[in-house]
Amino acid sequence: MYKNWWKILGALLVIYSTIAGFLSDVPMLPILHESIRNLYFHVPMWFGMIVLFSVSVYHSIKFLSNSNPEHDLKAVESVNVGVVYGILGIVTGAIWAKFTWGQAWSFDVKQNFAAIALLLYFAYLVLRNAIDEEQKRAKISAIYNIFAFPMMVVLLFVLPRLSDSLHPGNGGNPGFNSYDLDSRMRAIFYPACLGWILVGYWIYTILYRVRSLEKNNNI
Amino acid sequence: MKKISVTFLMLMLTLQLFAQNGDSSLTESVYATGKIYVVVACIVLILFGLLFFLFTIEKRLKKLEEKSSAKN
Amino acid sequence: MNLSTQVKHLVKKELLLEWRSKYALNGVLLYVVSTVFVCFLSFVSIEIITWNALFWIIMLFASINAVSKSFLQESKGRHLYIYTIASPIALIISKTVYNVLLMLVLTIIALSFHMVVFGRVPQDLPMYLLATLLGSLSFSTIFTMISAIASKAGNGGMLMAILGFPVIIPVLVVLIKLTKNAIDGLDRSVSWDEVGMLLVINVLVMAVSLLLFPYLWRD
Repeated sequence: MYKNWWKILGALLVIYSTIAGFLSDVPMLPILHESIRNLYFHVPMWFGMIVLFSVSVYHSIKFLSNSNPEHDLKAVESVNVGVVYGILGIVTGAIWAKFTWGQAWSFDVKQNFAAIALLLYFAYLVLRNAIDEEQKRAKISAIYNIFAFPMMVVLLFVLPRLSDSLHPGNGGNPGFNSYDLDSRMRAIFYPACLGWILVGYWIYTILYRVRSLEKNNNI
Repeated sequence: MKKISVTFLMLMLTLQLFAQNGDSSLTESVYATGKIYVVVACIVLILFGLLFFLFTIEKRLKKLEEKSSAKN
Repeated sequence: MNLSTQVKHLVKKELLLEWRSKYALNGVLLYVVSTVFVCFLSFVSIEIITWNALFWIIMLFASINAVSKSFLQESKGRHLYIYTIASPIALIISKTVYNVLLMLVLTIIALSFHMVVFGRVPQDLPMYLLATLLGSLSFSTIFTMISAIASKAGNGGMLMAILGFPVIIPVLVVLIKLTKNAIDGLDRSVSWDEVGMLLVINVLVMAVSLLLFPYLWRD
């Protein structure tokens, strides 16, 4: 966690994806036009959010198996960063939707489900605030976290495939693979995802260190 | 008279054609920016969000510093 | 005592308690009947889609009221007593079984009353019935675990709603789609996807509850 190479890698990847995202050629599509470049900024937010929530669940499971309070702090801080990523993803998505689909909130399944998934983690944070006793709070919120995670997976990955969506790859729409995500875009899109995930993980480690210092200082 | 009316009618037809042309060129000019500003807005928003987040982290850190300096 | 006899005894105990007071059943029945009646008085004639939406709203709140009693109602002392004599897995299975039974009875009564009062019958009644039964099944499995979490967290009803809604919404989305298919009398082959989905969600929730409940129960 305290090594630096992956932070530099993350920063370089984000910088690379931003520069290349603006300057590279993109396929011209009828409604999207240049806004297809948003793919490099909007979608990595979701990937980052999902990775951070997975990290949180991993630490919740760890906490239940050895009840080390360290893992509880890790779980809550990764949820915090994940929620920030999720909010950024939803707002950028709304802006993008406003100019391509015509409405900021077009009641697209993926939009709705992303909002509900965020609600799930808000509930997690509310639950944490509702319990005063520290050990009990850690245990119960870890249980809720693990209970909610499969639901979020169902929400974000399974249900949108069953219904029509304006997003590519759902319902009747063809996936990115078939038309617009050609190899040039892939070369930017994947590094962008990795970069933003690493940056999110970096923020999470910083938050965790602050939180553990806070805890030590209070005692 | 008939001739004039026919030419007038023809003119009207062409006028409609022109109008359509003009319309499409108008939309083209709106799209000529290519919606690049959407991308810019999104990036600005992400940066704004992250910077704001940074401020909240700093606030927590500041509290911590005050506490540790009070201790010493 | 092995698991199955424990479960049997616990379910019997729940049923006996319920039979003596008839508190949950009567209370929720009164709630359902009065809500349907109020809706009838205010709507009089009604679109079939609104009818469906009303039914699910009523069922949602009825199930929250009915199921939340299972853990919130019992005193700390009784919890401790059960803790000493039964395994936690037997307890969660018995509570879930009891809640499923309660919800099935409730759903059938509520559905028949709802149909009689508004005088509307879905075109594909067996499919609609299947959907409502699956719905009551998933309501009870999900809310049983949520009510256990909420009762351990201390403050009951409010937390139950906050924690429960984000988890139940995906199920409701699938249910509403399924029932709409049944109302429109679509071919049944269209709906099997959703039925399968609901079953998968139920199995998932049950598996996660069985895994997590022992941790929750142990103080």
